[in-house]
Order: sequence, then C-alpha cells, then structure tokens
Amino acid sequence: MKARPLDIAAVGTLATAFVAGLVVPPDAVQGDLQRIMYVHVPSAWLAYLSFTVTLVASVAYLRWRSLRWDRIAGAAAEVGVVFTGLALATGMIWGKPVWGVWWTWDARLVLTAVMFFVYLGYLALRRSFDDPELRAHRSAVLGVVAVLQIPIVHFSVTWWRGLHQPPTVLRPDNPQIDAPLLFALLMSVAAFTVVFAALVKRRSEITAKEDEALRFQEAGATAGSDITAPTIGGGSS
Amino acid sequence: MKRYRAFLIPAAGLLAILVGFLMFNIRDNLVYYKVPDEVVGDASILVSDRFRLGGQVVPGSISSDESTVTFSVTDGKQTMVIVHQGAPQQLFQEGVGVVVEGTWDGDVFSSDSMIIKHDEQYRTDDGGVYTPEQRYPDE
Repeated sequence: MKARPLDIAAVGTLATAFVAGLVVPPDAVQGDLQRIMYVHVPSAWLAYLSFTVTLVASVAYLRWRSLRWDRIAGAAAEVGVVFTGLALATGMIWGKPVWGVWWTWDARLVLTAVMFFVYLGYLALRRSFDDPELRAHRSAVLGVVAVLQIPIVHFSVTWWRGLHQPPTVLRPDNPQIDAPLLFALLMSVAAFTVVFAALVKRRSEITAKEDEALRFQEAGATAGSDITAPTIGGGSS
Repeated sequence: MKRYRAFLIPAAGLLAILVGFLMFNIRDNLVYYKVPDEVVGDASILVSDRFRLGGQVVPGSISSDESTVTFSVTDGKQTMVIVHQGAPQQLFQEGVGVVVEGTWDGDVFSSDSMIIKHDEQYRTDDGGVYTPEQRYPDE
C-alpha cells in the first residue's frame, strides 16, 4: 500500500496536534485530566461529521443512483461508528476522575449511546444484502432518517438538565475556553478531520474493489453457463 | 417493495413519536437533578423521597469530620445544607458544581452519593487560585 499525500497529511497533522495537546497549559480546575478533551471532542466531532457525510452521500445516491455515493456513505458511517465509540470510551475515562462516575443516565450520554447503536444497525443493514444496488437503496433511506439524531445529541445538553456540560465552542456566544487550550483543541479537530478524509477514501476504494470482485464472480458464473458442449456436426439431420 | 414500505412507515412513525416524547415530555418530567429553588418550600417532597440535587458549592461553607462532609449548595436563588456521608470526590471544592443524591427533611439534605458537575469553561491557571468570582466575573 503506497502512502499518498492525504495519508501523509493525516499523520503529520495528527503528530502536530499531539504535541500541541501536550505542551499547552493545563486547565485550572481539572489539571492534566482536561487533556482527554483533545481526543474526546474531536471524536465526537467526527461522529457528527461522518453521519452528515453519510446523509449527503445517501441523498446523492438517491438522486443520481451512482454506487460511488453509496460507498462513501458506507465508509463514512463505518468511520463514524468507530469514533462515536471512541467518544463514549474517552468520555467514560474522563468522567471517572472528574465526575466520579464512569457512566450515568444523563441525556447526552444515553442519546450518544443510542446513536452508536443505530449506526451499528446501519452497518448491519448494509451487510445483509448481496446486491449492491439493493444495499445502496435501503441503507440510503436509513442514512437519511438516522441523521435526525445529530441535532438531538448536540442540543441534548441545552434542552435537558443533565450532568454533561453545555457546548464550549459550538455555541451561539463566545467560546468558553482560553486561547492556548482552544488552539490545541482546534488543532486536534483539524487533524481528526484529515484522518477522517483519509480513512473514508481508503475504505470506499476497498468497497469498490469488493463490489468489482463480486460482479466479476457473478459474471464468471453466467459466462460459463453460456458455453455448451460442442456437438458433432450433421448428426441428427 | 410494498413490504419494505410497510416497514418504513411504522418506523418513521415510531421515530416521530419518540422525538416528540423526548422533546415535550422528558423536558418537564425526567430531569437529571432538581435545584434548591424547586426543593425548598415544596411540601410534596416526602422525607422518604430519594432524588438528585444539583447546585454550586457555596464558598466558605465546607466543613468535615471523620465520616461526613457538610456544605451548602446554591442555585443563586435558594441555598440548601448538605450532609454527605463518605469521602467527597477528587475535584470537590468551593464553587464547583455538584450533584448529590439522597433525601431532604426540610432542613438538611442527607446525601450518600456525589457527582461533580463541571462547567463548560476551560481556563489556564495563570498562577491564580480558582474562585467562582474569577470564573464568573459578571455574577
């Protein structure tokens, strides 16, 4: 596998963000524990981004019926599920020392877990069809419907009184974070976004190869059935 | 295709109901914690009712002995005295948000479970000590 500019950019920005996350000063209250934020927040951001890309690609598939869009939708959802899981896991690791609990039945936490399982279901749905066209059509519908969860998850912290604090950066008024910390956070969000682009590109290429292999297999089977045994000419007449 | 639609329509309906329920119902009934203003003076809360209470720890109100920590929490309108059984959380300090779970007898809230609710602010420590006044200069 050859390294491409996008892959190199992903590794480069990730390394830069890693250094930035370590050298910026710690938070006044939480100390070094707050650094988990530089993984937790970009993971949650990628969950939103992934499922939005799945939505856009699903709509594009339904409009133009090109399997290329379906492969992007599937790849984005797959990356999204991984990072939703990572957001949940880092949230728990962060929650234990800061809140005092690994998990609690707070709206944000519950709804994020629901979103994780719904998109896991989306991936299961994709695997339940052999025919790429059928897979694309059915999953595109779910890809559009399931995206409704993103605003619910994001605004859950403002709509309901819970344990998870409201947004720090993505809010109507000023970000509630000091400049160096915000810098490190934006660095890691940018790095994760490049990683997302690289992963989705790779994954949709792999799916394209898989679909191609499947087509080849089917084509091979029908091509063989066209060949009939040679007969000796002039026999029956 | 017909069967697929037969599945899709109930699924969409279910989703709509779920969203509606979440937006209009849970908003009023299933709050994660109550605040002092909702508890103080509410005669319908029985001594046997166990619930969560959230608020900010009042600076200067913390005192502790071997097994309990006593402090006050406020929501800016009402203040309640909390007697917490057991060790407080690592980040427990003046001005921090807490969610305690226990019972209320009208004077004292007896808690045996504490969760820290930190706010959405992240500030560097410029040699200063964290106080609520510093973090909320307008309040």
